Order: sequence, then structure tokens, then C-alpha cells
Amino acid sequence: MSGIDFVGLGVLLLFLILLLIFTFINRRRPVEFRKIAAFEDLETAIERAVEAGERVHFSLGTGSVIGSDSAPALSGLAMLSHIAPMTSMSDKPVVVTTGDGAMTKLAQETLRTAYDKAKASVQYRPTYGRLLGPTPFSYVAGIPLLLDTEDVSVHVLVGSFGVEGALAADIAQRQQAFVLAGTDDVQSQALLYATVENSLIGEEVFAGGAYFDISPLHRASLRVQDAVRLLIVAAILIGTLLRTLGVSL
Amino acid sequence: MKFRAYFVWAAVAVGSGIIVLLGYFIDNPTIISLRLAFMRWAVLLAAASLFLGLYNLLKVHWNRVGEQKTGWLYSAVLILTFLVSLVLGLMFRPDNPVILILFTYVQLPIETSLMGLLAVSLLVAGFRLVSRRQDLSSLVFVGTALLVLLGTGPWIAAGESVVNILFGQLTTWISQVWASAGARGILLGVALGAILSGLRVLLVIDRPYGD
Repeated sequence: MSGIDFVGLGVLLLFLILLLIFTFINRRRPVEFRKIAAFEDLETAIERAVEAGERVHFSLGTGSVIGSDSAPALSGLAMLSHIAPMTSMSDKPVVVTTGDGAMTKLAQETLRTAYDKAKASVQYRPTYGRLLGPTPFSYVAGIPLLLDTEDVSVHVLVGSFGVEGALAADIAQRQQAFVLAGTDDVQSQALLYATVENSLIGEEVFAGGAYFDISPLHRASLRVQDAVRLLIVAAILIGTLLRTLGVSL
Repeated sequence: MKFRAYFVWAAVAVGSGIIVLLGYFIDNPTIISLRLAFMRWAVLLAAASLFLGLYNLLKVHWNRVGEQKTGWLYSAVLILTFLVSLVLGLMFRPDNPVILILFTYVQLPIETSLMGLLAVSLLVAGFRLVSRRQDLSSLVFVGTALLVLLGTGPWIAAGESVVNILFGQLTTWISQVWASAGARGILLGVALGAILSGLRVLLVIDRPYGD
């Protein structure tokens, strides 16, 4: 035993404690989050698509499960667990596409669980979760065929994307589909902002679970994000002030 | 029975997740070796899952051809090229000239063309943005993009002209001060979101492996 990173463990513990505190506070005093138009419009668009017999396409991006780019796709899977039951009784239920084999398996399991919960297990098909292409651009190359042949009218991109995400979103936007897109990559976020009507900026890509009220802990985790961000901003400001005053840290 | 199975998946996911996480904070040879072993297994499993993914890809397109759905011809071409590449890859090694020809003269040009298409798409998207969203943030976005383009692209009055120097300095100021500050703020939020997404999986709140 050589050493323990107490700072790292302390930060982790802080997150856990704040998560528990905000879960408790939320039960007594639920908080109203600021409105994100993209999330509000998404539910309406899905309802319209189900009524019109059109399909919802959910893209989990081109990131892998084992990479650092898996976090937005995990957030996407949480959103999918809310969206899948909404379309499970439709003639054309949600189709999920990925650019990674393991992510495809996770998408299939999330869909299967959602169908079980909606008591629609019979409707579930493993091919509703698909690998579209194993490389970023082969993934994008598969998008037009999917949109042309599956009658897609709602296109949700929540996952890890590089520049190819903008191309995928643009293809859907040109077909007059409702497009919601969010990713963790800063440059791609700028491209998505220019390309689509409903883009998610910054950490909004992780807020889907809280906005769709999947569980109290999803709402609490969004409040933890805000609280820790405030702490970091305060630390930066205090640090700047001290350095300006000539105090060495 | 199903209830028990769900507990097993959750216990395995949480147990291995905690060990991998602790391996970053506790400098203990046992924990570190466990972390490395788990990560090696994860890489192996991810590689194996690629085969499952490719099987899934083939099945989707095979069904499309079988049902003669719209665009089935594209699916047939995909299956054919997939099988040809697979057979050639198995017969020869990946660094064989035959495989390299496929990569250099088929895959690379197609992906480069898509990249070129992206540049055109973004230009059109920039114009569409101004007509679609006529608000301050869109105007600032497009204005900044134009300024940075003028400052970095080949300038008509190239060289040491005052205009050229002015645009160059303006671009540097925008990208190094405003854009960097904004990007860091966004990255901070993204990092916090990523940490909490991971924690939710560790706390079995999110179960992407299913119930």
C-alpha cells in the first residue's frame, strides 16, 4: 500500500453526499428547472409521429462503450428508456442506431427492458437496435437509407459525435424531420447549433433524464451538477482575486 | 428468477465499476492489477461485441433484401461488399496490397468525399441559420464565424497590409480569449455531467445492461 488520493476520493464522496441530499430535498421541495425548448418539443413531436404512423430514430452516436466518450450515450440510453415505451404500441416503433457493437447490445437491452415494462414484449425485435456502421463516416453513410426507407419523422441524436454528427443531423433536417441533437464534443456542438433547430448546448446533453423525470435521482443529479459548478466558479473567482492581490497559492 | 438475474448483472457491473474507479485513487498493487485486468477484459469484450454488431448489420440488410423493401438494392450491395472484404481480409493479411487497394481506392475516397460534403453542408447551414433563427445569438454566431474565416483564410490583400494584420489579431483575440473561455465553461459542464452519468450507473439508477 503506497498511497491514497484523498482529494480524488473526497470529490467522489462529495458528489455522492450531494446526490443523497438533493434527492431528499427534492422530495420535500421539488425544484422547477429552466425550460429547454428542445426537450419540450420532443415529446410533442414523438406523439405526433406515433399518431401519424411515422417512426422515431434515436442515434446513440459513434462513440464506444469503453472509451471516455461513452457518457453522453449512457445519458442517451436513459432518455431512450423513456421514449421507447411511448412508441412501443406504434406500427413503427423507435429504431436505435449506433456506431459500436457493444453500444448496439446496450441499446437492445434498454429497448427490451422498456418493452417488458410497457407489457409489449411481443412487439420487441432485436433489429430495432442496430449497428449502422463501425466507423464514423460509414455510420453517416447509412443514415439517408434509414431515413428514406423507414419513414422517419423524428430524429434524436444524443451520444458522442465528431464532425460527422453535423452531417447526420443535416441529412435529417433537409427531410423536414424534427431533429434534436446533442453531444459532448465542443466543436461538434457548434456545428450542431448551426445545423439543427433543436440543439443541446453544453451539459444539456446530460439533462434528458431529469427533464423527462425518469427518477428522483436524475433530477437530483442535475441539481448536483449545478451546485458543484457553483463551487468551482467560486473557487476560480477566489483564486483569481487572491492571485491579483499577490497572494501565492 | 428474472429478479435474481437482474441482481447478478447489477452486482457484477457495480463491483467491477467500483474496483476500476478505486484503481485510479488508491495506489495498491492488488487493486491496480485488478483494474488493469478488468480493463483488458472490457477491451476484449468490446472487440467481440463488434462481431455481434456486424451480425446485426447483416441481419438487418438481409431482411431488407428478403422483404424487397425500398432501397433493397443498396442493402444487397452492402452485403456483397461486406462478404468480399471479409473473405479477402481472411485470405490475405490486413497489410496485404489487395486489402490496402480496397482501403486506399474505395473507403478513403468515399470518407474524404463525405468530409468535403460536410464543408458544403455547413456553409448552407450557416445561411439557413440566419433565416431560421433571427435572434441575437444566431447573428453573433454567424458574425464570429465570418470574422474567424476572414482572419484565418487566404486573404485577398495578403502580406503585411493593415487590414490583414487587423483581422489576424481579431481572430486570435476571439479564439484565444472568448472562444477558449466559452469552451472551458462548456467542458466544465460536460465533465460534471459525465461524472454523474457514471455515478448513476454505479448506483444502479441507470441500468443500460437491462433488467
